[in-house]
Amino acid sequence: MQPILKIDLTTGNAEEYKIPQEWERAFLGGASLAARLLYPSLTKELDPFSPESPLMFINGPLTGTSGPTVGRFAVCGKGPATGLWAESHCGGFWGPELRFAGYDGLWITGKAEAPIYLWIEDGRFEVRPAAQLWGKDTYETQDLIKNEVGKKGIHVACVGPAAENGILFAGIYCDHGRTAGRTGLGAVMASKNLKAIAVRGTNKPPLVHADLYAGPRSESNRTLKVDNEARILHELGTASVANYSEYLGSMPAKYYHQGGFEPVDKISGATMTDTILSGQSACHACVIACGRVVKLEDGNKRKGPEYETIVSFGPNLLIDDLAEITRLGELCDRYGMDTISTGNTIGLAFYLFELGRVTTQDTGGLELKWGDAVAVRQLVRMTARREGIGEWIAQGSRRLGKHFGAEEEAVQVNGLEVAYHDPRGVSGMALSYATSPRGACHNQSDYFFVDFGHVHPELGIEYFPRHAQAEKAANVAKHQNWRTVYNAMVMCIFANVAPQMQVDLINAACGYDWTIDEMMKCGERGWNMKRAVNNRMGLTAANDKLPKTLLEPLATGGTEGFTPDIQGMLYAYYNARGWDLETGHPMKEKLLALGLEGVATDLWG
Amino acid sequence: MAAIFPSPEWLKSLEEKLNLDAHYNEIARNWEGDLVFEILPEGNLKEPLRMYLDLWHGKCRGAEYASEPSVHAKPAFIMRSPYNNFTAILQGKLDPMTVMMTSKLKVEGSLGYMMRNVPVVLDFVRCAREITTDIA
Repeated sequence: MQPILKIDLTTGNAEEYKIPQEWERAFLGGASLAARLLYPSLTKELDPFSPESPLMFINGPLTGTSGPTVGRFAVCGKGPATGLWAESHCGGFWGPELRFAGYDGLWITGKAEAPIYLWIEDGRFEVRPAAQLWGKDTYETQDLIKNEVGKKGIHVACVGPAAENGILFAGIYCDHGRTAGRTGLGAVMASKNLKAIAVRGTNKPPLVHADLYAGPRSESNRTLKVDNEARILHELGTASVANYSEYLGSMPAKYYHQGGFEPVDKISGATMTDTILSGQSACHACVIACGRVVKLEDGNKRKGPEYETIVSFGPNLLIDDLAEITRLGELCDRYGMDTISTGNTIGLAFYLFELGRVTTQDTGGLELKWGDAVAVRQLVRMTARREGIGEWIAQGSRRLGKHFGAEEEAVQVNGLEVAYHDPRGVSGMALSYATSPRGACHNQSDYFFVDFGHVHPELGIEYFPRHAQAEKAANVAKHQNWRTVYNAMVMCIFANVAPQMQVDLINAACGYDWTIDEMMKCGERGWNMKRAVNNRMGLTAANDKLPKTLLEPLATGGTEGFTPDIQGMLYAYYNARGWDLETGHPMKEKLLALGLEGVATDLWG
Repeated sequence: MAAIFPSPEWLKSLEEKLNLDAHYNEIARNWEGDLVFEILPEGNLKEPLRMYLDLWHGKCRGAEYASEPSVHAKPAFIMRSPYNNFTAILQGKLDPMTVMMTSKLKVEGSLGYMMRNVPVVLDFVRCAREITTDIA
């Protein structure tokens, strides 16, 4: 990979950091490599908003190569809501552009005296004032910077007012609607007075064996284009699964308290295609193009919501109006707030209102009635501005719940709000949420697809019934290892690329001679590295849990009254992982087997 | 109402099953669309085989074994896969969602309609499994 540009915003000093080759080979790239690089600096005492807190943008070895869905980048650091490992992935064009500019990462520390943005072009960087951009939304910011720089082909990653206001689930946004939404790293970026990073490059991405890469690249893209899931994603978007998810009870409704959402078809991907869709959008060189472009009554084309946003502002709040959901999603994107956490935390506010724990005195007179999109819109605005109850929503569901004496009602894990795949419908998500290194995440292992039936026998990832319990624990661990490879590559999880093809692509790009087993070991190493980062920041076995709501049966709907036996699942999972049941640390033998000797010494002496 | 797959008797049995099965009748009450299975040669099947089913509002209005491509040229859906995948599904060795998600089965037709009606498709498979006594 190319160097990482290390920038200290306090001093303005910068240097090129060459990634040690042995770490590149051990961790591949992306989030796994970032975990290794940031390991020494992510301590329990570190304040995520302090100048010392690192923020790393990082590519994978395939970024920008027009391989299958590899036009992506990752952002990593310490999460302000969780106090743990933070990682968020983003599509669009920004990652490839950074690569074309000669860098495979940015390692940012310090804090600028006043708002600034970075302008990076073909190996040069410049710090520019951004006071005039402070307060602008993410769409305006991108446009203003492009106009100011005045060159074609610029891509801008930026934060919005939510990040400037320290909202704990503020993200980083690029290419008008592509988001590194989760874990609040936008707020970390804004805490450094860094409003945006504009990039432009003209170099070719480095490939060790470009000649060997061309074949697998073409073949994998050709195969992907006719893949059933890819065709469905192209035609119907990620919300294509809405109907089936609702049928299985894996699509939460009424803040995870209602089994099923009868008007699901009004908000499904199929209905979006039939009604407001006007086109698709794609990330760099992606043959799937799952992005939605929709047209509402004002006639303007805009980003259409994806599954998580639809459920967040739809069934989760009992709203069945796609146009309203679209507008709420856009409002969050403009403010720069993660739609999963925003909708989840507002859902908790509605639920506590129903219980009488939150009243109109707390909301400034606002009635929180399920299905009221106007009230939701008002809460989104109050949250972004930290006004009234928005001050508490802005801190996420755990803190909102705690403020109202109901922390146990918050559907979150370790401070990150649960995404919209209910483990009572698809039990594998119980382990995905409980053990994810960044809190309740569906992207470290989108195991719901395996529970739907998408198996990978060549990796030993087999089918277990959707309500199986501990017997699927080892299967979940394998899936996490594989997705960790994706997050290292950095490749979109929607790409059904055969494992051997993945290996061929990696080997050609990096000059390795890996087998599938070695690739999977790299994934396991990355997963354990992130675990060790978290262990050093205080995470123990006690952190691996599910919120009480997800352990209570629903009387109706597709969950059929099922609840996951999380303790039994965790016991089997720890055994499969080689983790210590008492401390939650990877066992010394496991760390040594993965070549993590230094980490083993740190954790075990 | 049971038969060996693939055979005209099997298809006739399936037609009868779909018309009499109360659960299928209910879950597929809104389904509108005919269907062709294109079974590609593999194993014991030496020639391509087409089976046509006219499915409408929870009933099967007609079925045709070894249908000529020119007869039902444009059905609402064509499902195409090698013989062994079909037999594995019918024997319960392969999950229908797995076949779909891993692209072992190719689907032509409205993907939107299909995604809205996954439970109908799964119940159709249940019916087909229940009438299959053996594999040729």
